[in-house]
Amino acid sequence: MSFPLRIERRLRQPWWLSAAVPAGSLVVAFCVIALVLLATHHPVGHTFTRLLDSAFGSRRSLESTFVSGTPLAFTGLCAAVAFRMNLFNIGGEGQLYAGAVTGAGAALVLGGVPGPVSIAAMILAGAAGGALFALIPGLLRAFFSTNEIIVSLMLNYVAALVLDYLIFDSLSYWRDTSTPDARVFPQGKMLPAAATWPGLHVGLVVPLGFLVAIAIATIVHVLYARTRFGFEVRVIGDSPRAAAYAGMRTRRKILAVMALSGAIAGVGGASQDGDFRHVLDPKGLTQAGYGYTGIVIAALARYNPVAVCAIAFLLGGLQNAGYTLQGADFPSGLVGVMQGLILFCVLGAELLVRYRVRVDRPSHRPGPAAPVEADAS
Amino acid sequence: MPAVSLRGITKRFPGVVANDGVDFEAAEGEVHALLGENGAGKSTLSSILTGLYRPDEGEIRLYDRPVEFHAPRDALDAGICMVHQHFRLVPTFTVAENVLLGDHRAEGRRFLVNPRRIESRVAELGRRYDVAVDPRARVWQLSIGEQQRVEILKALYREARILILDEPTAVLTPQEADSLFATLRTIAAEGRTVVFISHKLHEVQAVADRVTVLRGGRTVGTLSTAETSPRSLAALMVGHEVEAARRSERANEVGLPALELDDVWAKGDRGGDAVRGVTLQVGSGEIVAIAGVAGNGQRELAETVTGMRPPARGTLRVAGRALRGGDPRAAIRAGVGHVPEDRLHTGVAPSLSVASNVVLKAYRDTHVRRGPLLRLGAIRERAEGLIHRYDVKTAGPNVPARQLSGGNLQKVVLGREFLGEPLVLVAASPTRGLDVAATDAVHRYLREGAAEGMGILLIGEDLDEILALADRIVVIYEGRLVGELDASTATREEVGLLMAGGT
Amino acid sequence: MNSSILVVVLASAVTYGTPLVYAALGELLAERSGVLNLGVEGMMLVGAVMGFWAVQHVPGSGPLALVVAVGVAALAGTVMALIHAFLVITLRASQIVSGLALTIFAGAGGLSAYLGNDLSLAGAPASHQFNAFLPSGLRTAPVVGPILFDQTALVYVSWVAVALAMFYLGRTRLGLNVRAVGESPAAADVMGINVTAYRYAHTLAGGALAGVGGAAFSLAITPQWVDGLTQGAGWIAIALVIFAFWRPGLVLLGAYFFGAFSGLPFTLQARGVTIAPELFQALPYVMTVLALVLVSSAGARRRLGAPSGLGVAYVREER
Repeated sequence: MSFPLRIERRLRQPWWLSAAVPAGSLVVAFCVIALVLLATHHPVGHTFTRLLDSAFGSRRSLESTFVSGTPLAFTGLCAAVAFRMNLFNIGGEGQLYAGAVTGAGAALVLGGVPGPVSIAAMILAGAAGGALFALIPGLLRAFFSTNEIIVSLMLNYVAALVLDYLIFDSLSYWRDTSTPDARVFPQGKMLPAAATWPGLHVGLVVPLGFLVAIAIATIVHVLYARTRFGFEVRVIGDSPRAAAYAGMRTRRKILAVMALSGAIAGVGGASQDGDFRHVLDPKGLTQAGYGYTGIVIAALARYNPVAVCAIAFLLGGLQNAGYTLQGADFPSGLVGVMQGLILFCVLGAELLVRYRVRVDRPSHRPGPAAPVEADAS
Repeated sequence: MPAVSLRGITKRFPGVVANDGVDFEAAEGEVHALLGENGAGKSTLSSILTGLYRPDEGEIRLYDRPVEFHAPRDALDAGICMVHQHFRLVPTFTVAENVLLGDHRAEGRRFLVNPRRIESRVAELGRRYDVAVDPRARVWQLSIGEQQRVEILKALYREARILILDEPTAVLTPQEADSLFATLRTIAAEGRTVVFISHKLHEVQAVADRVTVLRGGRTVGTLSTAETSPRSLAALMVGHEVEAARRSERANEVGLPALELDDVWAKGDRGGDAVRGVTLQVGSGEIVAIAGVAGNGQRELAETVTGMRPPARGTLRVAGRALRGGDPRAAIRAGVGHVPEDRLHTGVAPSLSVASNVVLKAYRDTHVRRGPLLRLGAIRERAEGLIHRYDVKTAGPNVPARQLSGGNLQKVVLGREFLGEPLVLVAASPTRGLDVAATDAVHRYLREGAAEGMGILLIGEDLDEILALADRIVVIYEGRLVGELDASTATREEVGLLMAGGT
Repeated sequence: MNSSILVVVLASAVTYGTPLVYAALGELLAERSGVLNLGVEGMMLVGAVMGFWAVQHVPGSGPLALVVAVGVAALAGTVMALIHAFLVITLRASQIVSGLALTIFAGAGGLSAYLGNDLSLAGAPASHQFNAFLPSGLRTAPVVGPILFDQTALVYVSWVAVALAMFYLGRTRLGLNVRAVGESPAAADVMGINVTAYRYAHTLAGGALAGVGGAAFSLAITPQWVDGLTQGAGWIAIALVIFAFWRPGLVLLGAYFFGAFSGLPFTLQARGVTIAPELFQALPYVMTVLALVLVSSAGARRRLGAPSGLGVAYVREER
């Protein structure tokens, strides 16, 4: 079967291409969305306006957007950190749960200890929980070459079940057994007031978690761009053979990067406890799917940490708008459709950055490549 | 009537004429060897014969009828089967399943397959031609020699009329090779045609009826093996061209040898011994060349010296100090530089900038870092210095390495290694794929390095390069060093003969 | 006897395992050709909603409407799979990201919800649904009655599908070819097998089967439409393919295994035996991980493991 289109690797990548292609694909995505709306008899302009308004239009909507966007920033960073090195950690979901468990645990154990100590302890405990959980696929990959995609996926289920167990089917430390009601209708212990993370008041309230995420993003950015550690990660991610040639220790990096990745997701879990839910909330956490959305955000952001935060904020706005606008006169499921279409368009356009599409005239058979590797001068 | 006849075959690629008016003819019932160095045009010719490439000029005739192949399938349909160096087998399938898969005649014609039913046929073919393998065994369980048998079984099952084998004994033990030769003779005796591509003279003598020698894309002779000797074949293979310039300066050996290898053995990727008892010394300031046709263990030897492959036995020493094997970092620290064969995929991280690649090994040095942080300014300066010193043509140090042309990329790799001030430099095929200007530049840098006291281990198969650069030439054949020659007096024929396994 | 724990659990294992069988079988076919599709949940939901819509609007008798509805569900799943196939096979996008994007696009809170809402499907029960139809004598037979005979047509068709898949992969030339494509796309390409065509075909087939799996929910198990009806069954199906080592027969057993382990603790609870259900539910996943570790470290990975070409876009070297 001869295909009229030939796909060739680009020899030179003009600098504007990496910006123009995603931008262009966004435009295409929005056009498609508009078409979908038209086809289903929804007013296009009105819908977009309402979305923008609910996402970013008022102080309250911005605050809600931060609420939605904060966990996405963490899971996005988690994925970005690992994917940079071609470690496909799709266990961000489970690592976030692990961090939520250890974070809540730390808060409960410390009881009424003053705020900053509690919060710091929650962050550290959340990081530790997420890191340890991520080391399971990490160790298996480093020492047994087991596929980390599958292991981290399986562990997501296990983590969700552990969460459920702690609150719904056991009398664990996290469970509220103080009143007869609580014993019948399972829920988690409320966290002490000291463990409520304060927000930053700048005309509106920005959750502490989001600021922590930005701080982490900055650290990761510096780490990857300017340290020896990051240098090795980039080389290993680009060419494992070159990394071996240069004497880099790949195994150690796998463990370190997985631990870092999981730790970030774990802090995200602690943030869920401290910023928003104030209790270990299995149902809420497992239904949200933060981990999987985070992977998609990381991909959209090309694994750049700062871009991850920005895109997490934007996508958070979209999701927030979706929740707020749910009702009879607003197309439900539009949020998922929009997110999906944006993703498809950006993914599809990726190809154009690295490759060039050529139309092959059937009569002309192009010459094959030389058998000896000739230069691309 | 010849079974296959190629007349005036010419095939051009950008920058090189791989086949230039090649004539080749093989008869029915004959084992016909195709002899030549790498780059002589053997692979291109066989690719044309199997339908992978179309010749720019010339004609192909099968059994005296002209044919044209538009795709590999046409060649298969015409009864031409090739056993490649890299097998086309599915590792998790059984032998029978692989034979079935390869049977293109059944494609589209038979809906159901039953590997069990063909097992008996496969077993029978195995017995008849002495290529027996357990039809139910999975390919990953088989030894290399057995896997090759599966490839041959595929061809026999398809009732190939013309069987082409590409360097088949590269992966076999001597006993397996003998067994293979017996099989090929049996196949030929039935009236089929066997084309045997090789660079090994004694094998050609052992199994072939006639041999065609290619050099530089042209046919230089077709002889009956009964009437030739290894020496004359070697002479045909490497030619009597005017000698290239030789090294005039003698090496100034001071102090301890830069590199000492003592009875070093190393295993190959597939389990067998690739490096067999190599004992060698490279003095500081000396250029020692290891000449050999690709596949005789030189890649594995280079990897052993540079720590990318652990030695099974033997010791290595750099400037008198023992070197721990199997650890690239230890080798780098001990002062071993490495210009790898595959510059794009091993020597650099292709998507990272030139600057990053300049410090690929040096990023731990105190010059380019402050604590855990890299000093980007210092790195850029280093890169710019290198670009200037070695005249690397690039838009700047921040360009991704993959965008550099081969010659410029090699300069970056070489320059980087020199910056590390190695005591010994392992350079594997350093000018492969480079144009004349780049090749000259690389040669110049290597000579300068030696003049500064570096010991250089040059590994390759380009005789011109070896004769031009080396002080001493050692030939590697089937993992062993088989001859040592003083470069100032060695001739192409001598080296070529040794490279091809002659004595 | 028919109300014993074992029988009840096994019977419900078969019922609830059936959507998993379809979805996992589809994913198995796609993965055997080398394409990982994480969008199963999305495809199932779109199949469920469109199947439901069809059954509400197709005139005619029950059986006819149901058959048409299942066909529509399969078609819907196929269209979803086409997006993924185009992105990862032709445009060489990342298989992981594209699959996740598909789940987000089509899954709960996405296209399936959009369609369910716009087509006003929530609230009313299905006009027709699959019911057990064998004579009651068979259905109440001891032990095997409830487990094997008191099931819907979808269950029996799933058995046929598994048998066909086993036959296809093991005994036909096409099946041999697709296995080669998944294992060694380069080797298959050289033999003249059209890697692209096989990957497309099997990914689309995966979508069709996922759609049918979704229909098993909206037309049989919970014959109505709500957003997120499948509740993660698609993800479980992905795990199931791995658990079954990419073999159709084991998919069937594994689906019932997963189903049983999900249902067992609740049945026990109803009898007054309290064991945390999560322990049972986690077991299959933990076992999958352990099995994978054993297989990859023992070097027997090749014998039992994933198609080697899985997850990697195949790019033919330019000739």
